[in-house]
Amino acid sequence: MFRSIWATLVGLLIEDGQLAIGALLALAITWALANTGGETAHEVVGWVLLALVLVLVVANLYRAGVGARARMSSAHR
Amino acid sequence: MDPITLAIHATPAFVASAVEFVEATTIVLAVGVTRGWRAPLFGTLAAAATLAVIIATVGVAIVTIVPEQLLKGVVGALLLLFGLRWLRKAVLRFAGIVAIHDEELIYQREVAELRAQGLQRKEFDWIGFLVAYKAVLLEGTEVAFIVVAFGAAGGIALTAATVGAIAAGLFVIALGVALKQPLTMVPENWLKFGVGAMLCSFGVFWFSEALGMEWPGDAVSIPLIVLAFLAASWLAIRMLRALLPQGARVEARNV
Repeated sequence: MFRSIWATLVGLLIEDGQLAIGALLALAITWALANTGGETAHEVVGWVLLALVLVLVVANLYRAGVGARARMSSAHR
Repeated sequence: MDPITLAIHATPAFVASAVEFVEATTIVLAVGVTRGWRAPLFGTLAAAATLAVIIATVGVAIVTIVPEQLLKGVVGALLLLFGLRWLRKAVLRFAGIVAIHDEELIYQREVAELRAQGLQRKEFDWIGFLVAYKAVLLEGTEVAFIVVAFGAAGGIALTAATVGAIAAGLFVIALGVALKQPLTMVPENWLKFGVGAMLCSFGVFWFSEALGMEWPGDAVSIPLIVLAFLAASWLAIRMLRALLPQGARVEARNV
């Protein structure tokens, strides 16, 4: 079980490290907004988090695609 | 709660748990077919008992002791982190950048390893017992996490998540018993894709609720959030296919 937890942590922090950091950042921004923005912020905080995470997913996968393409072209050389 | 409402609430946990049960069933089948059924069945029962103890102590303690808002916040954040990982891998697999998870290949590899270790017919097969125990315990721990995550609201949600997970277990085990071969027909990447989107959606929903947000229509918003994740994933798959039309088949850790 500990090995599984360790593998998951390694996967999260190393394999998908940038995604995990991005997600934690999005959560922190949303938390800060909810705690400083007053009543209005509470009504939109979920939508803000959703938008941040969607942008993060697309940007992270774009970066992964560019990285894979670079690996492929260097392997062909 | 009427059966239809229960079915709707139980579906996310059913789908997510089915993926984990398929992985555990593949290993147990490999052990059973290669080394006989006694030891892997004992291993499976022992793992189920261990899981019951873990859930009864840690799970119940978490749900009853930790304040609801804090629990929703922590569970929401964890769901989002795990869900994003599943979603990312599923998208990369659909785009042909990472190889599809192959249950048949895993099954054959496990069978070869177990055959190589040999079997003493007279003694209890401890290797078979331990391999099955470990597989069921590891995948079962993830099922327990899924149940706690989807049932974080307590009451109906927890009942529905538990029912969904048990139904998934019975369904996959029945399928495995009937077929006695790896469950390759289960569209695992599609399931992981859907589960990834659902975990992320529940993550966003719970975390925002913990911060004081009231979603329009409460849980009715969840399908809309799922749709948003599916749309973004579809966009990402199209983008990756445009970037790498021939695919790449690289290791997940390298992208």
